[in-house]
Amino acid sequence: MPVLTGKELRIVGFLCNWCSYGGADTAGVARATQPTDLRIIRVPCSGRVNPLFPLKALMNGADGVLVSGCHPRDCHYSEGNFYARRRLELLKEFLPVIGIDPARFEYTWVSASEGQRWQQVVTAFTERIHKLGPAPKFDDAAPIYDMPALAPAAPVRTLSCSPNPALDELKTQLREALAEGRLFCAVGWQQGFDALHATPLYMRKPEDVDKLVWGPLNVHSTANMLFQLIKDAQAAAMVGVKRGDPVPPAKKIGLVVKGCDARGVIELLQEKLVDREAVELFAMGCNGTVNVEAIRATIGPAARVESVTGEGDVLKVVADGKEHTLSMKDVAQDKCRSCLVPNAPLFDHFAGQPVAVPENAKPAPAAVLKYLDGLTLSERMGFWKGQIERCIRCHACRNACPMCVCREVCVADSRDPHWLTQEDTVTNKLFFQLIHALHLAGRCTGCGECNRACPMGIPVGALKLYAGRIVGQLFDGYSAGLDPDAKPPFLGFEVEEKNIHERHIEGA
Amino acid sequence: MTIRFLTTDGLAQWLAKVSETRRVLAPRKEGKSVVFRQWKAGDPEPVLAKATIAPKAAVFPPCETLVQYKSVKDAEDLSKTNLTLEAPTQAEPTLLFACRPCDARGILALDTPYLNGRFKDPYYAARRAATVVVSHTCDTPSPTCFCTWVGAGPANPEGSDVLMTSVDGGFVLEAVSENGEALLAESGLPDGADKMDQARATRTNAAKRITARKDLSKAPERLKARFTDMAFWIEQTAKCLSCGACTFMCPTCQCFTITDEGEAASEKGGQRLRSWDYCMSPMFTREASGHNPRMAKAERMRNRVSHKYWYATEYTKDHHFSCTGCGRCIVQCPVSLDIREIVLKAIEE
Amino acid sequence: MNEHNPLLPEVATVIETIQETHNIKTFRVRLDDEERMAAFHFEPGQVGQLSLFGVGESTFVINSSPTRMDYLQFSVMKAGEVTTALHKLNAGDKVGVRAPLGNWFPYNDWKGKNVFFIGGGIGMAPIRTIMLYLMDNKKNYGKISLLYGARSPADLSFKEDIKGWLTDKKLDCTLTIDNPAEGWEIDAKHRVGLIPNVLKELAPKPDNCVAVLCGPPIMIKFTLMALKELKFPDENIFTTLEKRMKCGIGICGRCNIGGKLVCVDGPVFSYAQLAQLPPEL
Repeated sequence: MPVLTGKELRIVGFLCNWCSYGGADTAGVARATQPTDLRIIRVPCSGRVNPLFPLKALMNGADGVLVSGCHPRDCHYSEGNFYARRRLELLKEFLPVIGIDPARFEYTWVSASEGQRWQQVVTAFTERIHKLGPAPKFDDAAPIYDMPALAPAAPVRTLSCSPNPALDELKTQLREALAEGRLFCAVGWQQGFDALHATPLYMRKPEDVDKLVWGPLNVHSTANMLFQLIKDAQAAAMVGVKRGDPVPPAKKIGLVVKGCDARGVIELLQEKLVDREAVELFAMGCNGTVNVEAIRATIGPAARVESVTGEGDVLKVVADGKEHTLSMKDVAQDKCRSCLVPNAPLFDHFAGQPVAVPENAKPAPAAVLKYLDGLTLSERMGFWKGQIERCIRCHACRNACPMCVCREVCVADSRDPHWLTQEDTVTNKLFFQLIHALHLAGRCTGCGECNRACPMGIPVGALKLYAGRIVGQLFDGYSAGLDPDAKPPFLGFEVEEKNIHERHIEGA
Repeated sequence: MTIRFLTTDGLAQWLAKVSETRRVLAPRKEGKSVVFRQWKAGDPEPVLAKATIAPKAAVFPPCETLVQYKSVKDAEDLSKTNLTLEAPTQAEPTLLFACRPCDARGILALDTPYLNGRFKDPYYAARRAATVVVSHTCDTPSPTCFCTWVGAGPANPEGSDVLMTSVDGGFVLEAVSENGEALLAESGLPDGADKMDQARATRTNAAKRITARKDLSKAPERLKARFTDMAFWIEQTAKCLSCGACTFMCPTCQCFTITDEGEAASEKGGQRLRSWDYCMSPMFTREASGHNPRMAKAERMRNRVSHKYWYATEYTKDHHFSCTGCGRCIVQCPVSLDIREIVLKAIEE
Repeated sequence: MNEHNPLLPEVATVIETIQETHNIKTFRVRLDDEERMAAFHFEPGQVGQLSLFGVGESTFVINSSPTRMDYLQFSVMKAGEVTTALHKLNAGDKVGVRAPLGNWFPYNDWKGKNVFFIGGGIGMAPIRTIMLYLMDNKKNYGKISLLYGARSPADLSFKEDIKGWLTDKKLDCTLTIDNPAEGWEIDAKHRVGLIPNVLKELAPKPDNCVAVLCGPPIMIKFTLMALKELKFPDENIFTTLEKRMKCGIGICGRCNIGGKLVCVDGPVFSYAQLAQLPPEL
């Protein structure tokens, strides 16, 4: 077999020790000639391959990455490659969102006896990479700073800003729970620093409930603090307890929940990060929330907002004595446009009537995904370069995420493992977003808090939505945070996957 | 003091002239944000809006190299290594164009630790000496602006070299420092003294629009008295996410961390980096022993607010608060935490 | 100290390492630049930042005395990333040094007074520098005493020094360990008991006396109580504080207690000064 002419490209291979590395060894012993572009990293099992390994390789100059493991059902550790199959399929379909050609990444199954096949796989993959040429670099991409004004997707159901008549019922339920003393605290919303903002409300005594508000300005996720609050409640229960004495049970955390907030809680329950007994959910049907920034942009940054009221689709914002009439259809948050879960799927109390959800409704795709779908690979690379340049690494996106419970031990801050440096570069900052999106794959409920929290207006949520779309396609429409008993897809596997099929490398 | 007039049409031309000898940093729209970037002749005109993030990166970049280190084995004696260290402290002459007076005052606040402490930071000093600041005074402050509460204002000159005010047909440029005088002297622009009245009227109207001033003079003593009132701090901080949005947006926040990247013995050697850090992070004060004086976020918020409204008055020359009232922390906070509310509540008896 | 650039370390070579205890190692370093080493001056109590390039930097007190300038001595307890890497160093290895930083013990105010040193574990390091300095200037001071305690005989640092301290006429030295141990003959200078209790046994008089107290937080807490029982006023009790540090020169904003920065206003503080600061140690 002739050695490939031309400059060698960089191809990284992750090979499982038992099958594929053995197969490569067999090929070697048989003196099978192969191109030398591929450099092997041996891992104990393909299940050890964190999708971030190939991603980091590709973002740091690799022209191609190949992962190879035992054939499914033949894993040396029984199940490792079943997990790998799901993760690596996700990665392959995820790469295009940042403009990396998915053909540059492949995963295969090669057993220890398949020396000849290994030779064919390596040769074919190397040829493919040479045909594609050296991988484009972020440094060379032309940045796209501004997205065109995206027509917001039409809401899948009627959104309304009318006051909810059941608010008093909700308040009564909360007062009763607090008076009984079974709650450590209850989290809801109150009037914020001006009429255009609400802000989270922590209720500890029945009187605090007087401040509770409910309306389109209640944008914050009340599920965000749940994990930490449970720890606080447990610590409070320990106060004054002497060593050896029984510890009294911690008080519950009460959360006032819109549909999306409850989904965050349900996902934490699915992952067994939170006990059902630790949280009490006070639900009410949600008719949609608004994009406060969009309203600000309409009325001007200097306008002093005096009141925000509404009925049905019509939102009336009075600022500097002038009345602005806005439509919920225009100013609703993106996530509300595709929301089919306005009522908490799980609750302990439900005030008022559930919001009606149209049957067989199909939400329009998110505007930003439609935009990204329309870009070429190199445009996508330029898009993310342009967007992430202004990232300041404040981690508001991470801290606003209800699923991010790692806080003090987050990879973004850790020196060991050393995924990121402090350098203010596009690759570092974008890599954090990709870590976040992949860590959230199959877990993200689409609450959009990351987008809303970003002070620089970077559409970081798009990466999670993209991954979420892949998860829906691979796992029969699976959506996180709907069923507390459902197993998150990446915490499990099927021996026969319905939607993941063996890939063939042409020529191998 | 020199006053010149710059026409709206002449702005790009003047900036192009300055850009021949200086790096020009000017506000530009990027997505939904306004950020400071290098402006070159031929670029679209700068956006004269208050930037989403204060331009402190002009003198205090988000990440910079403090030391480049490399160790090489001595060719004569392999048991010896030679360690070479280099410190890049040069700075490019820069024009910081069209920031706001609150941004400029923020840079002045950074001078206190970086230039006027026990030691002088040469990296900062070089950039500071090389930077001329032209502030665009505010026409229409936002409802969240409160610069007048902290002793500043929409046309406050502290930290600026030139104050630029919008008038009919262009801008009045008023030098408020020696460097400002020099900049205007070499500008070749016509005199603008006859437009100064208009400029003053614009400035007065802007000041009137700022939310009515609250008296914060008791803040230092009241924050001192509140220090051990943990119930107060827990209540005020309950909704905080412990992210770094407020600190990184802030014109006066100065905190940083130092990390080494790269092995000394490697081919390229490595770098000791200084990068922005935020005191709201749980790990900010964690010691190697595991002890952490500010494990609770209530303690961290107490430190942040006390630093700006109490400690700073002890060590700054003019007893200024280390807050310029720009309001960015309020607008950008994901949970709309309002520092004004905390300080006013602390002052309440 | 590089006066022009206080963030740029000077290159130094490790000339000797001493394993004090299982997790404490002493390093003696000399600046490579001979002129600067000869001109190096520091006050007892000041600290230095030791750099391992590629790993990081940490703060340690210079625990040799300014009167003995063959080398600069630092004692390092293995606790985290940088200290673990430092413990792997041998003689001949290079480190970066940024020193001297911080304030120092106000020894001029102590002239004519008795000085009672109390050290626990690694807290002996800052005490070593000031104690040796006073001993080298003994004529200016009254009685100098040391109470040094550790968990066990193996946990005592500066074992070579201790041999001399026990017999030096300029010093009244008492050692104590937490629990009886084989080979530890109990006598007036070798006791068994926690530091606060032994201190009360020794009962130094507070008149015309200054106490210097360094050690782990729990030891400081109870020893302070004992000193108050013995009627030592706050302005005559001194300690050194530790904080997570980065720049060491007062600009990174990390090591503050209230409006004071431990790296420039400390690490030496009197208890009277600490009482003025907000309680957030």
